[in-house]
Amino acid sequence: MRQNFLTAPKNSIARLATLIVVFGLVTGCASTPNGDPGDPYEGANRKIYNFNDSIDRNVMQPIARGYVSLTPKPIRNSLTNFFDNVGYVNVIVNDLLQGKMTQFLSDTGRFVVNSTIGIGGLFDPAKAMGLRAHDEDLGQTFGVWGAGEGAYLNIPLAGPSSFRDAPGFVARTLLNPMTYLNPVVTIPVNVVNAVNVRANLLEATNIRDQAALDPYTFVREAYRQQREFKIHDGNPPGDGFDDYLEGEGDSAILKIY
Amino acid sequence: MAKKNLYLISLALFMHCQFTMAAENLGAGKGVVEKFHAELLQVMIQSDSLGFSGRVDALVPVLMETFDFATIARIVTGQHWKNLDDHQRSKFIAIFGDLSAATYASNFDGFSGENFETIGVEEKRGNILVRTLIQRIDDEPVTLDYLLRRNDGIWRIVNVIANGVSDLSLKRADYTAVLKTEGFDSLVSKLSDKIVSYNIGE
Repeated sequence: MRQNFLTAPKNSIARLATLIVVFGLVTGCASTPNGDPGDPYEGANRKIYNFNDSIDRNVMQPIARGYVSLTPKPIRNSLTNFFDNVGYVNVIVNDLLQGKMTQFLSDTGRFVVNSTIGIGGLFDPAKAMGLRAHDEDLGQTFGVWGAGEGAYLNIPLAGPSSFRDAPGFVARTLLNPMTYLNPVVTIPVNVVNAVNVRANLLEATNIRDQAALDPYTFVREAYRQQREFKIHDGNPPGDGFDDYLEGEGDSAILKIY
Repeated sequence: MAKKNLYLISLALFMHCQFTMAAENLGAGKGVVEKFHAELLQVMIQSDSLGFSGRVDALVPVLMETFDFATIARIVTGQHWKNLDDHQRSKFIAIFGDLSAATYASNFDGFSGENFETIGVEEKRGNILVRTLIQRIDDEPVTLDYLLRRNDGIWRIVNVIANGVSDLSLKRADYTAVLKTEGFDSLVSKLSDKIVSYNIGE
């Protein structure tokens, strides 16, 4: 079964946002900015989107496709597990900041189990123990604390973000143990991570290319919706439905659930 | 005393009717989604023998039965809907239905042991939300939530939310951007191109 936004695995959907954030997958056909109040910098954002997209299409995608063809799936899965695990301290800290104590304990256990029995995170024995993975970050924490998303941003070489989410880049980097290793180690490792993340998103981005009339808008809305979804742990309140039947809120709508 | 008893009995009957109706509605909504999933699964299983056009042909009847394309069309065109004449509206509803069939036929083009599982049904602001999972072998499940709305006494799907991404919201943002900058004919032309590209992609 081919994967798309309807069928791609949860992690892939999450990784789309990650990839977008990490590599700026975003871009596409430029059209006139259409005045979304949540995207006041749309003109600049579109330019950055196009820049990021050209890098992605000309550099990252070809490398990722080569990587997929050369690397067996079990190895790619283990690399994904490893990088997820090494960045998991960020999740644990944000569990705590959001007051999710049960999840904090579970995620701490997950990190310990996978870092030890899972051989540095290459394998995921914690899942079999019922310690399922969570997805938390500083932007979500700000959202839980009541912060609005702020203006949508496209960051060069980093992709979609927002005023609320952008500080999360710094927090995630500072909370990643790899940051404190010798650059001789971290640079090649981060390159492998980048290629692996991009590879995991090939199918999802194919779907974006297939489905989107205006990829910039498509990615922006997907990003914003998924942030809302994550902040509310999969159960966002939504705006109801009938309000939209008569064409209210024309541009960006985030909350039809 | 008799009056009070009569009141209590009436209240109890009223509450009973309300609960029964609510349960019937939830059951009806769940049935719609499960019918769609059952047909989709059959198409996936027979994917190779059906081919792309066969999958489209197989999916069109169930999509027309289970999705409320008229309501979806109103939503995804935003405020532009009221400026469309009847001919344009009919044209858009038809092409949107065709696009949906092509999209499903393109993306559900094989079977690797997947199974659809309904994990919850709830009332959501007068509509019904059916929560489901696509269970997959050796892979994480995919969350698919369906929002159903009753129109003319029939519950039908008006939105699909995949792992938190609302298909209706995405399309509304995407389509209204085109409507605003390029107009209705351009939108229809682009959607027609998409249908062709799904076929070619096959």
